[in-house]
Amino acid sequence: MDLVRLVLGGLGMIGWLRRHADAFRGRGDSAPTVPPMDGALRPNTLLETARVLLRIDAPDSLVATRDGVLFSSSAGVFRLDPQSGTVASVRRFEHAVTCVASSDEVLAVGLEDGSIRLCRAGHDLPALVTLGGQRLVCPTALAFRDPTTLIVCQGSARNSPNHWKHDLMQRESSGSVWQVSITDGTSRRLAGGLAFPYGAALGNGDVVICESWRHRLLRLSDGSATPVLSDLPGYPARLVAAGDGGFWLSVFAPRSQLIEFVLGETAYRERMMRELAPEHWVAPSLSPALSFLEPMQGGALRSHGILKAWSPTRSYGLLVRLDARLQPIASFHSRADGRHHGVTSCVEIGSQILVSSKGGNAILALPAAAGDTP
Amino acid sequence: MTSDLYAKWRYRLIPYHIVGELLAKSWIDSAIPFLILFLVLAIFGSLVPNLLALGNMSDLSRTAGEYLLIGLGLTIVVMAGGIDLSIGSVFALANLLILAVGGFVGLPLWLAIPVVVLLGGLIGLINGILIGYLRLRAFLTTLVTLIVVRAVVDTLLLSYSRQISSVDIQSAVWDFLAFGDIIGVSASFIVAIALAIAAHFCLTRLRPGWHILAVGGSRRAAHNAGIDVRRTVCLTYVLSGMLSSMAGIFYAARLASLGNDTGVGLEITILTAVVLGGTSLGGGRGSVFKTFLGVIIVVIITNSLIRLSLPSGASSLALGTILLLAVAIDVRWLKNRRKVLANAYVSPTYFALPPLQSAAPGSDSPYAINSALSVAEPIGLGVVDGPEDIILDDDGNLYCGSRDGDILRFFAPDHQRSEIYAHIGGQTLGLAFDRDGNLLTCVGGMGLYKVTKQREVIKLSDETNRTLFSVIDDSRMRLADDLDIAPDGRVFFSEATIRYEMHDWIIDALEGRGNGRIICYDSRDGSSKTVISKLQFPNGICMVPDGESFLFAETWGCRISRHWFAGANAGRTEAVIADLPGYPDNINRSSRGTFWCGIIGMRAPAFDIAQRMPGFRRRMVMRIARDEWLYPNMNTGGVVEFDLTGTVVSSLWDQGGERHPQVTSVREHKGYLYLGGIFNNRIGRYRIPGADPEWTSSASYWGASA
Repeated sequence: MDLVRLVLGGLGMIGWLRRHADAFRGRGDSAPTVPPMDGALRPNTLLETARVLLRIDAPDSLVATRDGVLFSSSAGVFRLDPQSGTVASVRRFEHAVTCVASSDEVLAVGLEDGSIRLCRAGHDLPALVTLGGQRLVCPTALAFRDPTTLIVCQGSARNSPNHWKHDLMQRESSGSVWQVSITDGTSRRLAGGLAFPYGAALGNGDVVICESWRHRLLRLSDGSATPVLSDLPGYPARLVAAGDGGFWLSVFAPRSQLIEFVLGETAYRERMMRELAPEHWVAPSLSPALSFLEPMQGGALRSHGILKAWSPTRSYGLLVRLDARLQPIASFHSRADGRHHGVTSCVEIGSQILVSSKGGNAILALPAAAGDTP
Repeated sequence: MTSDLYAKWRYRLIPYHIVGELLAKSWIDSAIPFLILFLVLAIFGSLVPNLLALGNMSDLSRTAGEYLLIGLGLTIVVMAGGIDLSIGSVFALANLLILAVGGFVGLPLWLAIPVVVLLGGLIGLINGILIGYLRLRAFLTTLVTLIVVRAVVDTLLLSYSRQISSVDIQSAVWDFLAFGDIIGVSASFIVAIALAIAAHFCLTRLRPGWHILAVGGSRRAAHNAGIDVRRTVCLTYVLSGMLSSMAGIFYAARLASLGNDTGVGLEITILTAVVLGGTSLGGGRGSVFKTFLGVIIVVIITNSLIRLSLPSGASSLALGTILLLAVAIDVRWLKNRRKVLANAYVSPTYFALPPLQSAAPGSDSPYAINSALSVAEPIGLGVVDGPEDIILDDDGNLYCGSRDGDILRFFAPDHQRSEIYAHIGGQTLGLAFDRDGNLLTCVGGMGLYKVTKQREVIKLSDETNRTLFSVIDDSRMRLADDLDIAPDGRVFFSEATIRYEMHDWIIDALEGRGNGRIICYDSRDGSSKTVISKLQFPNGICMVPDGESFLFAETWGCRISRHWFAGANAGRTEAVIADLPGYPDNINRSSRGTFWCGIIGMRAPAFDIAQRMPGFRRRMVMRIARDEWLYPNMNTGGVVEFDLTGTVVSSLWDQGGERHPQVTSVREHKGYLYLGGIFNNRIGRYRIPGADPEWTSSASYWGASA
């Protein structure tokens, strides 16, 4: 019996059998359970009641440069004045902007068509269109390691950034993280086979990335990727360093039992993707439900005129403050009955934290002291 | 597509839902011992020659009759929560006493037998007093009685065995008791069966039997309910003693032996039979039939093992192993029965809806969503809880149902002041006035009720005819929903589902089965009869002014149909609107010859796909929490106006869902539309542009009042 077990185990059969048995019965790793929002992630309404600095369509990619705060909205990059909320256009592109990063001289802008423009005062550097010989498809996050080295996250090798819902529902894990030299265009792959890396930041000299579909943060060092924060109750987006060595993590959509369940139901998922428009899928969403054609879950039934704050929801607003060891210490929420959902990026500037609510079409301002440990 | 075709035929041909309905039956507990009996008969019937031959059956029935008598007594004691280990010793004592009293002392049988039975009852009384009245532990007390009575038997045997065995009882009756046969089974078996039937009758239909089960179920609760617990417990031991001595009499007739190992170990065998049958040793659960099955199994096994010439210990070993297995299976079954039932009962089926029509705001579809109802004024905001239906009388007072089972009345003309008009219970749903001004209502969970003008609540109907081949007992009503009254006074009302209680309405939606029906109540003779069955959540009912037909809505079927109950077309049903983009609820007349229908929610494409994939819905129900289930989208609702040809004339919605997310009922009265919602805390009042300001529903039904 031991010999048999040894042989089987050696072939990895037990693990394979268990995974398939679990998937069949919906148990173990295939269980549609979701970690609760508790401890530092206890729900509140701080994001919902935050001051709205600017209302604009789908703001994203807030970044602090030496010229001020920049953000992107559809195909343009704009400058925002944090005090008055006035907006000035900086650059317009032919395709929608997906991510922005800035060093002192260069502004790196990732576009929907897969190219990364390197904008400089004077004339631009040549754009990046390939990574390691293959075409860039999906730039989701950019971070400058030093003025000539850019960390690029490619979310997926198959889907473009605005098809992120397709990528999740197809259960893709073809993303990768690259280190690119902007002077000569050479690139080196830091990690591959990732499930939609959506955020990158530098911490202790290592690159820390957010792997969205596996709802965790990874630290990349010496060619290996170690999880540092797992079992998040949502899908993480951008990661940005805070002043005191900690980080700000945006979570753009919540996990829910129904979506976890649908991810395990191949026939239903394929049919849904084939027959319906993405807005009507049983999938996470950046913005709160607009139309009756979107799927509804039982707890979201309006009773006595109230949509309960803890209803199951496909969109949510969540910003998490992490400490230097990447553990959550505080969080800001916009719950099921709120509108400031789909938080994709934030930036710390002066005494404020600016947060872009892509699903709520607003840029919010939180006081900086809110992020301190209580 | 092929998977759809396969799903459609698979779910139509295989009645999988019957599995769950069978498991929900109360007699399903007996299924396991029945199965074991079947297995035993099959196994031993093939191993042992002539097991089932008539002669062997007759022999078996003698032992079975005795065991059944004792088993009956032990079952009664166990059902009351106790245990009687002294049955073997009482059996031996009765054996000795009948031979002594009937033979040696010479009393005639008609005296001797009752005396011995009463003496057995006396020992049972001792047990009963000690356990019932003095509250001693049953196990220890009956163990002591076992030892004491065994000692008595041994002493008597030592002193008198020679005298007793010297005299035989000469009597034809005695011989008949021993060796007689009626239709191939022994007298002891006949007597045992007769007593078993009487015991079953008493336990299930007479008060003393209910008391025994109540005491076994919970002593404290039985005591609080006023049952004399001590007397009941004592009675069970007396019965056990009497039945054991009766068995001993039959044994004495059969063997006339005075061995000192009579009845030794008998209590174990009988206990095995009782537990094998499925009677719970904790008390409160069990039946005579289960013991009967257990006894038959034990007798067949013992007899077969003897005939197979196995060594002497094998019989006990086999019985012990079988007991172990039976107890293990039974305990697991008792513990997991609810879970198995919950998993097996939900049986979604394939349901393909017609293609979804557009209801996009601003489009030219007649269903185009608008915000007309978002300005409806609230009535009773915060006062009402779940007014599913509303109706107004001739004076303009507004009546509505509520989740608490009340009917509330809001006084005309401004509907600010309210009072509880009547309290019925359940959840008051559909409302209608009859010709004399009595208010009839369908009460969810209870049936069809009437509130007279003097506010007296009368039950009209809560029972209808039972469908012949339905596993579920559908003679009772679970969710009477809406009603309407025909010109001749007959009441047609809908019962939304026969498979689920009211609070599980969403599971019925996820099943997509035709679980509902429409029932006709005839007030002339008080009878109720099912008129149409197998409907998908029939909800609103509305009489067509021709007096021969009515419209009805099937909520999860997304259709409105018309049924003729009188006239040339009587019995015909046809669809009026077959492809609504939403879920229809109650239907009522309008002033323009058309009809208003409340729409409780809108079809969403993701849910429509799920309705074609029953396996997906079933796994969803079993694996994720109820609040997380994919629901029909019920946060957008409104009102649709249509005519008898199926043309949609207009529609009114509350797009934001702030005031009226689900509209379950809509009633026109004097130019206004009154809106009800089953999950709402308000009634809405909406001014219909250009509507007849004098039109009332009761005038339309019964003519203008004087």
